[in-house]
Amino acid sequence: MKGIVFTEFLDLVETKFGLEMVDKIIEQSELDSNGIYTSVGTYKFSEMLQLLQHLSTHTGIDIDTLLLVYAEHFFSVLEASYPGLLATYKDPIEMISSIENHIHVEVRKIYPDAELPTFIVEEKTENSLIMIYKSSRAMHHFGLGLMNKTFEHFNSTATIVLEKIKEDGTEVKFIINKN
Amino acid sequence: MSQKEIDILKRAILREKGARKAAEKILEDKSRELYVTSEELKTTNLKLEQLLDEKSTQLQGVFENIIDAYVVMDLKGNIIKFNDPAVVLFGYDIDNEPLNVINLIYKKDYKYAMKSFKKLQENGFFTNYRARIHTKNKDIKWVHINASLIFNKQKKPIAAQGIVRDITDLKNLELQKESLLKKVEKSNDELQEYAHIVSHDLKSPLRSIDALVSWIKEDNQEHLDAASLQNFELISGTLEKMENLISSILSYSSIGFDSVKKEMVNLNTIVQDLNKILMIPEHITVKVKSKLPTIKGHQTKLEQLFQNLIGNAVKFMDKEDGLIEIDVKETPSYYEFSIKDNGIGIDKKYHEKIFKIFNSLNERKDSTGIGLSIVKKIIDIHNGEIWLDSEVGEYTTFYFTLKK
Repeated sequence: MKGIVFTEFLDLVETKFGLEMVDKIIEQSELDSNGIYTSVGTYKFSEMLQLLQHLSTHTGIDIDTLLLVYAEHFFSVLEASYPGLLATYKDPIEMISSIENHIHVEVRKIYPDAELPTFIVEEKTENSLIMIYKSSRAMHHFGLGLMNKTFEHFNSTATIVLEKIKEDGTEVKFIINKN
Repeated sequence: MSQKEIDILKRAILREKGARKAAEKILEDKSRELYVTSEELKTTNLKLEQLLDEKSTQLQGVFENIIDAYVVMDLKGNIIKFNDPAVVLFGYDIDNEPLNVINLIYKKDYKYAMKSFKKLQENGFFTNYRARIHTKNKDIKWVHINASLIFNKQKKPIAAQGIVRDITDLKNLELQKESLLKKVEKSNDELQEYAHIVSHDLKSPLRSIDALVSWIKEDNQEHLDAASLQNFELISGTLEKMENLISSILSYSSIGFDSVKKEMVNLNTIVQDLNKILMIPEHITVKVKSKLPTIKGHQTKLEQLFQNLIGNAVKFMDKEDGLIEIDVKETPSYYEFSIKDNGIGIDKKYHEKIFKIFNSLNERKDSTGIGLSIVKKIIDIHNGEIWLDSEVGEYTTFYFTLKK
């Protein structure tokens, strides 16, 4: 997993819960990196999982909600880092439906070793979209958070329903309807 | 600040330091990697540039050195490039006046040109295109063109190139030859007709003279002395010879006008048949030493050839045991025949002369001096050669070749 996901995550934890929380979840986890993260490095996903679990335990907030909030924060990072990419889109449905065929293609140019989820478009109209998310990481709520912010970015909103195809969340149907 | 807080901060600082160092190391590795890659790229670029230079020089050399015109056009027919011979041939300065290939095509060849252009698009090339073009100063020239498409890296055609040869002179020669051949054919026909008329016109007064002379002889039989009767015999003999001469001239002039196609001719059969026709006297033996071949030629002419040569051998036989030997030798491309007799022989100084018309070496009634010229002509028609070897009083061997 790319380092920027860790650094932004810990920054957000620090902002929301303080440096002590950051220290706590790092100390309690068994991390090969010893909690030393740089945005240009690459680290094991299991480290993120441990950090999330410990944060969830200490705050009483479930992991999906934590991921949702983190994703909403992460979108602003993307907005700041890749304004050009976002500017190529006029419409949130267009942007979300092109994750697989455009955005991920661009991501791989910069990070050839990135491990990306797949988003397969099943149905698409002007105002609605049905996609199947597939990833062993089961980070569907991270995707949901990014999607919410995408609609917000284009000054619109949407109702997004998640239907788990697999119980462990590695395959999830996203039903998106623009409001 | 409590000790706990201090410890937390210390750990945070340690993590930050570690992260900074890790980041620096990653970036350093990345820059090293980039540097190496860029060096590799530079080297590769240099090699490519050298290769490109080399190829360009070669192409430029070809472009400048070929004698034929070299033309490059885009797929719409607009001329992009002319080498110097092309400028000379077409007369256009394409740097200053845009030119499309359509403007060069001679109107009557337009259809053919379009067909060839289609072929170029479909097959990627055409060869042996021969047609007329207009030059800038309205001259018409015949050209020969081989053309092919030029493709880009994606195998898409982007242009077409052609080598154009000016064949105007060649074409003119061809046309000239054709018209000359027609003329020759016509005058040959006229000549043959003329020969027929002449021989007929010459023969009829001869016959009249012959008739008149024999009447005078019959009417005055009892008044004529032996010498006069002898002279009458001579007159009649001379007239007969004259008629033979005229017939021979006619047959000589007819050789070569025969438009009959060549066929497979069995020379064995010809020689066997000739032995019957020629009425060879008892004391002369004709021997065929090896089996004669079957060759491609004109039946009647080959008959004439053997008839004349064997006939001569019989005619000039002075020995009591006459022997005529016919033989053949085979080489990869032709047959060499020989006809040997043990007759009077021919002096070396006449060996050339005998093949010329009217050169009889003997003042004989039955010798017109045309036989060997006919032989020579027939051999010429069959792309062969004739020569002889002889000893006066001993033998004569005629050799001749006929193409397989």
